[in-house]
Amino acid sequence: MALTIPAWICLLAPLAGALAITLLGTGISRRLAGILSTASVAVSFAAAVVCFVQVLGRDGEERRQLSTAWTWLSIGDLDVGLTLLVDPLSIMMMLIVSGVGSLIVAYSIGYMAGDDEERRFFAFMALFVFSMLTLVLAGNFLILLAGWGLVGLSSYLLIGFHHDRPSAIAAAKKAFIMNAVGDATMALAFFLLIYETGTLDFLEAFDAADGLGSTTVNLVALGLLGGAVAKSAQIPLHTWLPDAMEGPTPVSALIHAATMVTAGVYLIVRASAIFEAAPSVQDLAAGIGALTLVVAGLIALVQTDIKRVIAYSTMSQIGYMFLAAGIGAYANGMFHLMTHAFFKALLFLGAGLVIHALVGEQDMRRMGGLRRLLPRTWLAMLIGGLALTGIPPLSGFFSKDSILASALATGDAYGYVLFVAGLIGAFLTGVYTFRLIFLVFGGEPSAFVREHLHSEHGEGPRSMTLPVAALALLAVIGGAVQIAGIWHPLADFLRESAEPLVEPTVTQDWVTSALAVGLGVAGIAVAWLVYGSKRVAAPRAAALRRPLEHKLYFDELYQGLFYHPAAALARLFGRLIEGPLIGGSLAGIAGGTRGVGRGLSHAQTGYLRTYALAIAGGLAILALVFVSVR
Amino acid sequence: MLTTVLILLPFAGALVVWLAPWSRLWAGAIALLVSLLEVGVWVNAVVAFDFDESGLQEDARLSWFSDLGVSYHVGLYGFSLWLVGATVVVMASATAYGVWAGRERARTYFGSMLFLSGAIVAVFSAQDLLLFYAAFEGMLIPLYVLVGVWGGRGRQSATVKLVIYTICGSLLMLAAIVGLGLSQGTFDLVESGTSGNEWLFLGFLAAFAVKAPLFPLHGWLPDAYREASPEVAAVLSGIVSKAAVFGLLRIVIAKFPDPVADFRVLVLVLASLGLVYGSLLAFRAPDVRGVIAYSSLAQMGLITLGLFSGNSAGVNGAILQSVVHALVSATLFLLAGGIERRAGNGELASLGGFAKGRPALATLLMTTGVIALAVPGSAAFAGEFLILAGVFDRGWLWAVIGAAAIVLAAMYTLRLISAVLHDRRGAAVSEEALDLRPAELAIVVPLVACLLALSAWPAGVADRSLPGGDPAGGQTSPLFSEAAGGGWTAYAPLVDAP
Repeated sequence: MALTIPAWICLLAPLAGALAITLLGTGISRRLAGILSTASVAVSFAAAVVCFVQVLGRDGEERRQLSTAWTWLSIGDLDVGLTLLVDPLSIMMMLIVSGVGSLIVAYSIGYMAGDDEERRFFAFMALFVFSMLTLVLAGNFLILLAGWGLVGLSSYLLIGFHHDRPSAIAAAKKAFIMNAVGDATMALAFFLLIYETGTLDFLEAFDAADGLGSTTVNLVALGLLGGAVAKSAQIPLHTWLPDAMEGPTPVSALIHAATMVTAGVYLIVRASAIFEAAPSVQDLAAGIGALTLVVAGLIALVQTDIKRVIAYSTMSQIGYMFLAAGIGAYANGMFHLMTHAFFKALLFLGAGLVIHALVGEQDMRRMGGLRRLLPRTWLAMLIGGLALTGIPPLSGFFSKDSILASALATGDAYGYVLFVAGLIGAFLTGVYTFRLIFLVFGGEPSAFVREHLHSEHGEGPRSMTLPVAALALLAVIGGAVQIAGIWHPLADFLRESAEPLVEPTVTQDWVTSALAVGLGVAGIAVAWLVYGSKRVAAPRAAALRRPLEHKLYFDELYQGLFYHPAAALARLFGRLIEGPLIGGSLAGIAGGTRGVGRGLSHAQTGYLRTYALAIAGGLAILALVFVSVR
Repeated sequence: MLTTVLILLPFAGALVVWLAPWSRLWAGAIALLVSLLEVGVWVNAVVAFDFDESGLQEDARLSWFSDLGVSYHVGLYGFSLWLVGATVVVMASATAYGVWAGRERARTYFGSMLFLSGAIVAVFSAQDLLLFYAAFEGMLIPLYVLVGVWGGRGRQSATVKLVIYTICGSLLMLAAIVGLGLSQGTFDLVESGTSGNEWLFLGFLAAFAVKAPLFPLHGWLPDAYREASPEVAAVLSGIVSKAAVFGLLRIVIAKFPDPVADFRVLVLVLASLGLVYGSLLAFRAPDVRGVIAYSSLAQMGLITLGLFSGNSAGVNGAILQSVVHALVSATLFLLAGGIERRAGNGELASLGGFAKGRPALATLLMTTGVIALAVPGSAAFAGEFLILAGVFDRGWLWAVIGAAAIVLAAMYTLRLISAVLHDRRGAAVSEEALDLRPAELAIVVPLVACLLALSAWPAGVADRSLPGGDPAGGQTSPLFSEAAGGGWTAYAPLVDAP
């Protein structure tokens, strides 16, 4: 059986789910809408598994298949089809998206119960999964961009799901517009690619990448990087992600942690041939990743909203993946993408359980002492936190350390800088993660918790706790897919799609692990001293704290740099051009006409002699003209 | 033959409605029936159309003044077929809206709508300069009546502006038509060759720049789009503006290759100015119609960029975008009408919260809105991508401006959507305001369905627009054969590639 048949089923099942829920409307119960949505994503997952099993039985070139439904657009001679590319890389993404997706959509049935517009929510969730699968299955850049835009759209719809909340709508618009900037740079890269190579097809463009001039390929890579940076919320296009936490928690888990925001990493790995031809842009990607992982880790230290802490942590972890993709450690980056999907979705869903139990409260300062009240949630969050910090033998340990070891293995000065940044990040991760856990679960129950905790419904219905348990299990064992120095099936699997540029030695792996785990534990210890046992007061350091609390003033910068000038220009156009010149033009014409008319009316004297003179004069002029023209 | 039917059917309908003393109900019913029949005839024409054939199809010719070479000569090329398609679909929806809204003085109203419909189809299928001019001016008469009688409070001055602007352009065009016709010895567009006369070129350009409109000749636009009744605004911005697209392509670009090349930069500058300017003004417009009106200005700038890119990618994109914009703009104006009916006005500041409990309105406005802002994967995105890929060939700067305008489009469209649908309930929005009624759904849903179908298969229109297929493929189309040397170049890199 062709690989592409299950791939098409995988892609279209969620679309069918979304359409069915939309068209059936109030004809089905809210619960049924949730079940329909979950089922459609589960069908997707089953199809993805079929693809996976099929591809395992093949070798080399046979692991890659293309299927075109029809020509979507022709650009001159270039036909761009609605094409799917099924290969190990896309299958891995399919599995993550539909697998984690079905768990999270199932969780939403419990989480969203009682909301006014559940059906819309579930239609949007299915639409998102469809869009994300379009993105990862696309066989050419144009369809990739279509998926890219559609995930942005679903993200917009879901961030602004509670559309009567002005802050949610503002956040949704911000996310969409920042991503539109990324879409635009990608589109420009594609125009250049068409112009230079005459193709948008992945495989053809990758073959052609080596032959391109260095300016061209750098610009193309830069355009792609712009899209990747916007979608993955890396500096400087990162400010939308924390605000995106306005969306319901399952949305944050699925879109803003496990899948969509990692699309940038996928893009760099997918287009690795182009990035390798533009090494300076690839270095830039690694640098952006390193910068983001440190800065986001720092900002996470001072956030008070439980979801925002996790959001900054997501930015930081994607920074690791960018770093990996930037140094050419593609399999390791994808490995971290996968384990991150598990433990970060787990953390978000765990946070969702906390928020659910506390009737929507998200401020960690009002929480505390939940360990005994929500023991299973505590356990889930602890597992997620340990995996995130990279404590062995949980999954994050294997994936994060393999990235750092790869940075070490590049062997150049830049690699060492990246390596050190990664280590700093490991320490910060320990601090902010366990700050969260100690603040929320440690100590005695706070007054707010005692007053508001819903004890009657336990820790949530089974539809919520089972997905959390499944993700916890994955977060524990997921790292076993690849163990440095022992086995590396994932790297072998992905080799067809992206050949790694660096592969660390076993020594480098061990050195890195020792350092990273040591720093992670140190981070946890610091968090314990400050927020757990409270033996040490948090350093005040206002000069450092205030910029961090203002998220380093990026929002203010963009307001001043883009929004205000654009608004001022629009006002200026309105006042100086549109009003007086364009709108007033007709008044001017009318006035002029009236003036001319008044002037001409003086000729109507009523005297016969004037008219006779005019007629004679006119005839004379005509005669002159006639004679001279002849 | 089918073309003549497409033209005459609505004119005949108009006569029937005008001459016999029908009741309001009957007048509306006849108009609706004729407009639906028109859609049926058009579908027939699509089925009969041979997209591989390069010449004029479904043509008819009757000599009128044989010594001057004037004739009734009509026929369809691929792009005319799509423009006519957009016309019949939008006219059917607009007529249905008129029936639903229960317009006063029904016979005059519906007769004018039908007459307008016939005139527009005649514009899109005319292959004779004088016939084109007659149809082009013929559109203005019913529009004058429709805006002037059934418009809003400021309809008088809006009508005057519209008419004066248009007539100024048209008179220049008339002079150019006479000049071109006499110098060529025929007024027939298929028979006549090309001309290098810059004054004639400028005469045509002026008329179409007013009609489109292009910046800075859009003075009539804000008032007309605001004051006309919603369905007339839908026709005006969706369809009538596309007469300019047809004229630019069929006359200016096909007949004046050298002047087009000489003035290309000027037109591209005006088009991109209009694109940015319209987008910025749409972003600050205080009312629903203002946003749609200025976004139309921006879109016409974009379409002009594509037309003047001088390659098949850009022109195909411009045709696709014309069809998409016709549908998007019409849908938005009809929805704006529904919103104004419910809220009493279209001021954004007093709207908001429509989405709560009104899923049909919310879904349709959101769907149309995201297509309007050209979310990647939508038909409008396909059109913009083609246009910008085409104009990239002329210089990367045009594409960069276009790409920046896409970000602006996201900004003003999202502003419109959330100001109407989201946030807290606005002062003018009552809790009891109903969702779209079944009749309104029946009017708007077909338009949105067309947009979704185009999003799934934009190539269906884009690749079937230019006669004789793709000039880049080595075929020269009869429409542009004369122009092949000057104004018309294939998409360069694709030809150079081995």
